[in-house]
Amino acid sequence: MANIAAQRIKREFKEVIKSEEIAKCAIKVELVNDSLTELKGEIAGPPDTPYEGGNFVLEIKVPETYPFNPPKVRFITKIWHPNISSVTGAICLDILKDQWQAAAMTLRTVLLSLQALLSAAEPDDPQDAVVAKQYKEHPEMFRQTATHWTFVYAGGPAKMPDLDDKIRRLTDMGIEEHNARVALSSYNWDLERATEHCLFS
Amino acid sequence: MADNWTQSVVCRYFKNGACREGNNCRYRHAQVNRNDANINETVTTPTNSPGYIVTCRFFKQGICKFGNQCRFSHSTGTADNDVTQTNAIENSASGQHTANTLKNKKADKRTAEDWVKAPEFIPTAVSPVAGSSSTDVTSASGTSMSTSKPVSYAQAVNPSGQASSPSLEPLCPYAEATGICRNLNCTYLHGDICELCSRAVLHPHNEELRKKHTNACVKQHEADMELSFAIQRSKEKSCGVCFETIMEKSSREQRFGILPNCNHCFCLTCIRKWRQAKQFDNKIIRACPECRIPSDFVCPSMYWVDTKEEKEKLIRDYKGALSTKDCKYFNKGRGKCPFGNKCFYLHALPDGTKKDVGPPVRQRRNTADADIDILHQLILWDFLDERDDRWMYLDLEDIPFFSDSDDSDWSDYELSFD
Repeated sequence: MANIAAQRIKREFKEVIKSEEIAKCAIKVELVNDSLTELKGEIAGPPDTPYEGGNFVLEIKVPETYPFNPPKVRFITKIWHPNISSVTGAICLDILKDQWQAAAMTLRTVLLSLQALLSAAEPDDPQDAVVAKQYKEHPEMFRQTATHWTFVYAGGPAKMPDLDDKIRRLTDMGIEEHNARVALSSYNWDLERATEHCLFS
Repeated sequence: MADNWTQSVVCRYFKNGACREGNNCRYRHAQVNRNDANINETVTTPTNSPGYIVTCRFFKQGICKFGNQCRFSHSTGTADNDVTQTNAIENSASGQHTANTLKNKKADKRTAEDWVKAPEFIPTAVSPVAGSSSTDVTSASGTSMSTSKPVSYAQAVNPSGQASSPSLEPLCPYAEATGICRNLNCTYLHGDICELCSRAVLHPHNEELRKKHTNACVKQHEADMELSFAIQRSKEKSCGVCFETIMEKSSREQRFGILPNCNHCFCLTCIRKWRQAKQFDNKIIRACPECRIPSDFVCPSMYWVDTKEEKEKLIRDYKGALSTKDCKYFNKGRGKCPFGNKCFYLHALPDGTKKDVGPPVRQRRNTADADIDILHQLILWDFLDERDDRWMYLDLEDIPFFSDSDDSDWSDYELSFD
């Protein structure tokens, strides 16, 4: 790893450790290996969103050319969000792509930006088209789905019993739980269409 | 000084010119009446002078540096001319260094005649320049007692009043350089202490030289101040990209890259690297990586600049430094510079005449083709610049403030002409 990248990541790491946000448990960053090329981030779901109470784990890969290139970040925790792929966890955020600013952005600001992204989705610039469509057309359905995902994958507090029921109906048919959840979420919890999708596609 | 009996006894250290007590000496620091106060020329006219019947053996060889202050006789009996010569070179302590030669000659003659009354060697006696005033002997010695400072041998034997234009007399190089002249018998002038550089470099008699030195010293002092301010304000600055304190980086990298249009601080290496990034839009990399205000070029600097004026001066100096160098694209008329007359480098023909090549060729950015053109050019230039960097380092080292040329940034300069 280039010297400049290592130096800078070290500093940024310290900055996160010292920051107020970590005191509030809003963000967190951990080393995965000694080489500083890979880090594990964690952000708390922002309040008054379907993600509230959840903890979302991120994979942060620091490129050799950092800070001239942005770090590669994706969600490890499954999440239901228009700008985040529900399958891969890939994030669509301009600052992680062409709007990266070497001098203005650090690990801390990236994590905070992601947190902000959770509370203010950009459905017009989606990463996951299915989620974005639901977000625009059935906002209430989106909210419930996101809350449910947060509960299941990110340790969120709010249980959604009726959604669980629907999933159980599919798993009883021998469908794997996650697949059932994805299908139901994608079809706005229309049990019939989700079943059709799972069995015949 | 207490007026007790000791006052009537002449201090014997003083007599030899080496009393450490100076004005506080309890013994009398009397002027032996060497200055004939009644005559305006203060040629030594000794009154009490035992024991210089003995002829000075150095004088005989023509090398006595005590001149007519010598306690031995300077007389060959006949050679009046010799004496005159000696006297002309090392004239007595006189306030009248501007005296015309006629007077000097007269004085010399008198001295030669009055060799019998030549003074005993008491160096301090020569110091009062005011001796030329027509006060009576006692008052003269009285004032000099209170005002005269202990003088060195050097001053004594080579008193300020030199016959042949004292203003041209060179200063003692040792005293000038270090302030210490170990040669007690130094025959050179010892300058006054300059308040600014605290070196003995002010010529005692040459007003012009004094002024010259003072001006130079003030200028130097101002430059020093400016430098220390520059260092002070640069010391804590860290680069926004690598986060390191720039002045603590390796000496090769201790340079600032100043963006003309915003006030964010980067080291030259980082900002250049950022501006050469290939993966982003030109718009992004030409912008400040912190505030996104675009700048056309990066100005290298050894120090951080705070104010608008300093920055303008820096950029002016930088452009000035570049404008003396031949543009490698124009290549003394053989090539074609894409920057046209906006180029910062010199467009001159081999005979030295400058040539206006007109405005730069505009790049049409609307069409996709033009974009590709620009891209090609950029890549080519980056390559050229990389290659030329070493050559630049060697060539530009004599230009102060910029330790190298910021050639690489011209590659994107062109894109701003729209």
